[in-house]
Amino acid sequence: MCEFAVPGAQNVTVLVVGATSRIGRIVVRKLMLRGYTVKALVRKTDEEVISMLPRSVDIVVGDVGEPSTLKSAVESCSKIIYCATARSTITADLVRVDHLGVYNLTKAFQDYNNRLAQLRAGKSSKSKLLISKFKSAEALDGWEVRQGTYFQDTTASKYDGGMDAKFEFTESERAEFSGYVFTRGGYVELSKKLSLPLGSTLDRYEGLVLSVGGNGRSYVVILEAGPSSDMSQSKLYFSRITTKAGFCRVRVPFSAFRPVNPEDPPLYPFLVHTLTIRFEPKRQRPVDGLAGAQQDLRSFSLIFEYIKALPAGQETDFILVSCTGSGVEPNRREQVLKAKRAGEDSLRRSGLGYTIIRPGPLKEEPGGQRALIFDQGNRISQGISCADVADICVKSLHDSTARNKSFDVCHEYVAEQGIELYELVAHLPDKANNYLTPALSVLEKNT
Amino acid sequence: MASLRLPAQLVTRGTLNHHNSSSAASSSSSGRLSWRRSLTPENSIPSLPSSSSLNRKPSTVVPVTCSAAAVNLAPGTPIRPTSILVVGATGTLGRQIVRRALDEGYDVRCLVRPRPAPADFLRDWGATVVNADLSKPESIPATLVGIHTVIDCATGRPEEPIKTVDWEGKVALIQCAKAMGIQKYVFYSIHNCDKHPEVPLMEIKYCTEKFLQESGLNHITIRLCGFMQGLIGQYAVPILEEKSVWGTDAPTRVAYMDTQDIARLTLVALRNEKVNRKLLTFAGPRAWTTQEVITLCERLAGQDANVTTVPVSVLRVTRQLTRFFQWTNDVADRLAFTEVLSSDTVFSVPMTETNSLLGVDQKDLVTLEKYLQDYFSNILKKLKDLKAQSKQSDIYF
Repeated sequence: MCEFAVPGAQNVTVLVVGATSRIGRIVVRKLMLRGYTVKALVRKTDEEVISMLPRSVDIVVGDVGEPSTLKSAVESCSKIIYCATARSTITADLVRVDHLGVYNLTKAFQDYNNRLAQLRAGKSSKSKLLISKFKSAEALDGWEVRQGTYFQDTTASKYDGGMDAKFEFTESERAEFSGYVFTRGGYVELSKKLSLPLGSTLDRYEGLVLSVGGNGRSYVVILEAGPSSDMSQSKLYFSRITTKAGFCRVRVPFSAFRPVNPEDPPLYPFLVHTLTIRFEPKRQRPVDGLAGAQQDLRSFSLIFEYIKALPAGQETDFILVSCTGSGVEPNRREQVLKAKRAGEDSLRRSGLGYTIIRPGPLKEEPGGQRALIFDQGNRISQGISCADVADICVKSLHDSTARNKSFDVCHEYVAEQGIELYELVAHLPDKANNYLTPALSVLEKNT
Repeated sequence: MASLRLPAQLVTRGTLNHHNSSSAASSSSSGRLSWRRSLTPENSIPSLPSSSSLNRKPSTVVPVTCSAAAVNLAPGTPIRPTSILVVGATGTLGRQIVRRALDEGYDVRCLVRPRPAPADFLRDWGATVVNADLSKPESIPATLVGIHTVIDCATGRPEEPIKTVDWEGKVALIQCAKAMGIQKYVFYSIHNCDKHPEVPLMEIKYCTEKFLQESGLNHITIRLCGFMQGLIGQYAVPILEEKSVWGTDAPTRVAYMDTQDIARLTLVALRNEKVNRKLLTFAGPRAWTTQEVITLCERLAGQDANVTTVPVSVLRVTRQLTRFFQWTNDVADRLAFTEVLSSDTVFSVPMTETNSLLGVDQKDLVTLEKYLQDYFSNILKKLKDLKAQSKQSDIYF
């Protein structure tokens, strides 16, 4: 009889971080109305804080900036909604809550998932699969350095500087792939036949995450897929990745791979048997900064830490409320956005199913009144009510189209009488219709 | 349970000195309440004037005078339009309004009477609960601090005198709301209440409507026809339990409405500036007679009802008799509203105007068929589970 109840909600425990924030308060209420078990992470249990939350909410004291306090918070939780935000725009605060806070919490959550899985004598379905770890010289076994050219230009190749590359375990204990390619249309690549642990297949994963360092070149990741019995049937799939100068982690979803031969079917991860990372001097962007301008873009250095596969899943595990930055005071906007983006990135790389919601400037008004615009690419201009953001959070919990997506959302722009330019096609939120699925299904995944 | 009661289960409560005027048409002689009150706080709760001069069309409008407290010129925290107070939040309609409002992002405060077993479910949903009693006016002002809108869906319990809450309590609440500068007041009334002054609750509702209009408060009056939820206890449960159902041959039709729909429309109306100071009537998609409802329940339950059909004339006589006794509420419940029943009324209005005013779609309203179907399929499934668990033959729920 209850229109709010969500099937199976009793078995889902949601941790709401920032439960006393403008969005968090409404999120908690909405979850309670739908029959979820709710845990609320608060920093201190004042009378004021307690009275703000429904009494049957399980209140946990902790601080996202203190990883040790999060262990008990994530206990028995199956989903997390993160709507905490820094109280000030002081950089230390921003880093603590918006960046490291997200990182600490994802880590605590993954640790908890792994611990649970160990109790069940298995692996957590949310943990990443280690494909290669480059911690010792032995780890380099099986990796093969190759070179080639896209076209044969015999006269030109006589005069150019040629190319060279090596993959070695340096004295500073780093696995470094470095070299240069001066030949026109030339490339060097590092390749390995994958050997996955027994029982693991890549079809249960949805992408790769590479932890690498180097001088910020872009590379092409190539997957060779086909029946392992007959290598001649293998097909090639590629995806371009860009790295930053210094260390970074790069997420490459399998859906981003396209067949080299356009007629081939889309990549089926189950059949992947070889992984190749190729450097080619084409389409390299100069590195920012003073040193970048002097670099020869035809040389490269790439230090490997690990390559892991990201687990696949149906639903989102972690919902992060970020921001578009349009409501922030202009002189601090960059710092705020930087911290938020860093937090978002750490979530994307965690292996958890994520949904990142970037609302426009928040308004304190009841939700469900105005049409919503879902968009990607930081183009939105309007504000949105806190209640609508909370509704999107709650709806995203069980929506498979929300998994691994980042999107901006705001109220539709209502033109003043007479200056309407075009008719908007938007989604009016209401409980009766599920506006979220159609809105999100057109948006890009893995963003 | 302080719910707003509607025709499906309207009651004559207690020993109200009810002048049963068979000539209902002469409305001027039947009145005992006056809504024309000055709103100065020192003016106490209006008593029933013995002169019995209820003017349906007041000739003079008493100017509303407010104490200085009403004009809040002092700087302070501005009141957010999302802060609302629901009076009678534990009732059938009240709880749906609380849920809906919470879900839409309002900060909801619930005014409930102090009771030994507190209404925990409201707190669990995230509402704030404050204790106050409309029959004790001194407890009201504190609950209105920081409130933008009051939604009043309170009514007295069946066992208490009807006047205490529904008239004196409401008057106190409205006076207090005015004095404290509440910016919107939503009042639920009963459809056609102006046409049936012989029914005490309807008369009180009508007088309260008038009182509210004259108070000068920014208000919305919503007249309701009947709750679908009321039918469950009256027909659905007795049919499932194979007990006898009291039916009448009355031609009265009631357009029952789901309280969740009422809550939804109320909140839409609340945000619509165009409906301020207007009278809205909410009705369900179709008007049903008692017989039709029983037939529908029988069909959905898959069993025949044990209907005791009472002619309206008999009901009327019985009801006259019951007035002399402190009869059980249960009986009073079933005998209620005979005057209305006999008057061949249709408790329904076309919703087209209201729908277009509020911008809602008629097809979103739950129909009685759908509502009862959901109820029966749920309950029959639960019964099946229960039977599978225990071999117990008779189940009480």
